[in-house]
Amino acid sequence: MVITYRPKSLMEALEAIEFIDYTVFAGGTDLMVKRKQLAGLLPSFDKPVMFISDLAELKQVTIKDGFLYIGAACTFADIIENSLIPEIYKEVFMQIASPAIRNSATIGGNICNSSPAADSLPLLYALDAALVIENSCRRAELPISDFITGPGRNILNSSELVTAVKLPIQSFEKTCYKKVSSRRSNALSKISFVALANIENDVYKDIRIAFGSVAPTVIRSLDIEEDIITMSSQHALDINQIARDYATLIKPIDDQRSTAFYRKEVCNRLLADFLGNYAAASLQL
Amino acid sequence: MKNDISTPVKREDVSEKLLGTACYIGDLKLEDMMYARTLRSTEPRARLISIKYPEMPLGYFVVDRKDVPGKNIIKMIIDDQPYFAEDIVNYIGEPIALIVGKDKTIINELISKTNIEYEKIKPIFSIDERHETTTPIYGDSNTFAAYRLKKGDISEARAKARYICEDIYETGYQEQFYMETQGVIAEYQEGKATIYGSIQCPYYVKNAVVECLGCAPDMVRIVQATTGGAFGGKEDYPSLLAGQAICAAIKVNKPVCLLLERDEDLEVTTKRHPSRIKIKSFIDENHKILGMDAEIMLDAGAYAGLSGVVLQRAMFAIAGVYNIENIKVKGRAIATNKAVSGAFRGFGSPQAFFAIEMHMQNVAKKLRIDPLQFRLDNILKQGDKSTTGGVFRDKILLHEMVARVMEMSNYAEKKRSFQGSDNQKRRGLGLSMFFHGCGFTGNGERDHIKGKARLIKNEEDIVEILIANVEMGQGAGTTMRKIVSAALDIPISRVMYRNPDTDRVPDSGPTVASRTTVIVGKLVYDAAVELKAKWQQGVQQQAEIEYQYPEGYQWDNESFAGDAYTSYSWGVNVVDVEVDTITYESEIKGVWAVFDIGKSIDDRNVKGQIDGGIVQGLGYGAMEVMENVGGRFKQRTSADYIIPTAMDIPMIQSELMCEPYTEGPFGAKGLGELSLVGSPIAYAMAVEDALGIRINSIPVRPEFLMEVAENDKRNHFKTKR
Repeated sequence: MVITYRPKSLMEALEAIEFIDYTVFAGGTDLMVKRKQLAGLLPSFDKPVMFISDLAELKQVTIKDGFLYIGAACTFADIIENSLIPEIYKEVFMQIASPAIRNSATIGGNICNSSPAADSLPLLYALDAALVIENSCRRAELPISDFITGPGRNILNSSELVTAVKLPIQSFEKTCYKKVSSRRSNALSKISFVALANIENDVYKDIRIAFGSVAPTVIRSLDIEEDIITMSSQHALDINQIARDYATLIKPIDDQRSTAFYRKEVCNRLLADFLGNYAAASLQL
Repeated sequence: MKNDISTPVKREDVSEKLLGTACYIGDLKLEDMMYARTLRSTEPRARLISIKYPEMPLGYFVVDRKDVPGKNIIKMIIDDQPYFAEDIVNYIGEPIALIVGKDKTIINELISKTNIEYEKIKPIFSIDERHETTTPIYGDSNTFAAYRLKKGDISEARAKARYICEDIYETGYQEQFYMETQGVIAEYQEGKATIYGSIQCPYYVKNAVVECLGCAPDMVRIVQATTGGAFGGKEDYPSLLAGQAICAAIKVNKPVCLLLERDEDLEVTTKRHPSRIKIKSFIDENHKILGMDAEIMLDAGAYAGLSGVVLQRAMFAIAGVYNIENIKVKGRAIATNKAVSGAFRGFGSPQAFFAIEMHMQNVAKKLRIDPLQFRLDNILKQGDKSTTGGVFRDKILLHEMVARVMEMSNYAEKKRSFQGSDNQKRRGLGLSMFFHGCGFTGNGERDHIKGKARLIKNEEDIVEILIANVEMGQGAGTTMRKIVSAALDIPISRVMYRNPDTDRVPDSGPTVASRTTVIVGKLVYDAAVELKAKWQQGVQQQAEIEYQYPEGYQWDNESFAGDAYTSYSWGVNVVDVEVDTITYESEIKGVWAVFDIGKSIDDRNVKGQIDGGIVQGLGYGAMEVMENVGGRFKQRTSADYIIPTAMDIPMIQSELMCEPYTEGPFGAKGLGELSLVGSPIAYAMAVEDALGIRINSIPVRPEFLMEVAENDKRNHFKTKR
């Protein structure tokens, strides 16, 4: 039998994990699949399990000092229904899995599971999201790109919890979110693409582009984004050059869901379509 | 019409299914029941050199070929597939032994600690491989079945032809993906074997177990448990599970449950045959099709299973709904070292109809004539002959059906407005025409099945229907009760139907081939008429009817000549898609369908079958990808084998037209399989229409469309619309 523990407060949870190595269970939608056993048997957990899904401190959505904080145990359904969340963010969360999973799966769980295909990650990368990480005596903030180190890997240690996601409150004039998958609901993405931009007098002032499912972690390049802004300010946006630069980072694979060729091509096309008009761009890679 | 049999009634089985109280194999727990898990081959083709099991703890057992009391061969059409591998394994996942015990976790550990030494044999993975240079899996030519079919004079058609068009089409695997995985429970008490199973064909299982045990038929009893979907997948495969489980139950002297896990079921059970079909047609200057020369290859997998009959249905359907007087067809079911291909809703016909419909469309494009007009000009009509020379005796309503479906879908107007759009998103329309021959192919009903149905009335005048056909979600139980209640003119509440138990029901045949309503429904109807004639209130009575081949029909199985089927159901589907030319994803914007299934026995139940079949067909045509590399399927979990959800399919608009079949109950014909056949074709045609490209294979993946588009771009070939 496995020991389960349901702490009453965040502090109680943090104190408990200081000494005991728990499997932290939020929505459980990934864990229950990973720990699934044969039909009729209970899922198997090799460590004590701590349930954090109803800790009030982790369920809040607040605005403080110009930043939006989303509690790590907020489900995607909570986020979609919250009036503080901008629409473009919601668009991403609404395409995750299915209603039943969105009712249970949490944003913190999606981040800590650190899958290259996690649907919330490209948006969070594009927004320069930071994670609030706490242990019993310390609270720190860390950019999401420093947190995730590889497929299913991150730097969280067993005495820490991700307690919130910190996002800038920012509006973008031009946005694009595209999840490409085999069906319209309850599917893992083949490619996901987020692009956010502000434009003044036909010149990009701010642009963020992130690709999911096409490399071990989400792809975002500040250098290329800077090049886009520079080129744009000189009215010399070279979409082919930009696509070639991204192509050195986008390393998709052939797998059971799609092909490397398709993934790469779709990334190029979504990129070109966002930056110009795909049909007019006629990529020469 | 208040008393019309088509008026829907509440289905008897829905409450318990909606409430979750229905008892499936996974819910049944017999006293002292043990569990079995299967030790499987990890090699696609090899000789078994040795198997080293870990020491079995008390209460844990190995059950293998040495534990089969009778024949270690599953009774099917060809005797080639063992319950447990003898010295050769022929596909990844082939069962070698069962490990049986109380705790599944311990069983799994024992399986992982078992070492199998293999001597590899060069495997055959593709129907292309030249088998004469390697060792065939089966026979000399590596084919489980090779047939030829001839009608008229193909050389004369060739000589007279003004145009000759040749195309090759391919279709992929499809997994049935029933909600409930395969499973049985076997029990052996005082020399009597009882199997509870999630099954379509109780008597197939019974006949197999009798041979497996080498016992008298009355020592085997098969009881169908509530079955959570089957779609053909539980026609042939349960015989394997039942034989294995009963051998285990005898050895351990306790009931044994053998229930497959979802991923295991996906990987090792039967699937729809992949196909390659070559069609060459001969056309005269008036655009009449004079003849057709076709070659059908089915990828049968490692054992024969039902491949021969699947191949026959594909061959007989190869001319589609067109009147082609001169025909030559060559068909082969080829052995490969992959999971066995088996029965799946449509049974060879979806492959053939995809090929002929796409071919007809393509011929017209090559001839620069209107495809739909060309197809309608060549359509079958009453009195024309089938591919096997049988006569279409009943009226064929295709022209009316096409007119109606075009009206429903606003076809002409849509077609005009979709033309020439050069947007990022492009719309397209596809229209398919198809039929399904109802009941067994050829002499099946007459010579092999010879179905019997019985009605028993008790002293309270409650009538029970005794047939071997199962309720598996399709509504057969309710359909049968409606037929009996209408024929006897008694309330439906006085008619009972229970899951078949072979100790109680006669062999009315398997629940397959769209035969249950049209063939068994008629037996039940005739039994009801007989019972009504001799009805005595308050007296126990019974009536039994045996199948009679209808008069005036004929079939010769040697030459494949005559009436391959005694009745046909017909369908026309239209699909409207929007393709995004950036990602090549397609969105289905509309689906319209008209079917002629004779008299509908229950409109709501019929609508359920139509919607389900169309969705399953759209999955087959659009997204259900199953690739095999090196003998192993790449899509092995429900996260990776993608079937459509409600989000992928718009509301389906369907209507019925009725040309009754006089030999069917109240004029009813078959429906179950028909509903799947047309939608993948209409979908593929709609994508062709949207993009102005040619599609010659399904599923139509965005990955494939992207490659076509990129190749076109590289070749500086501008697609015409």
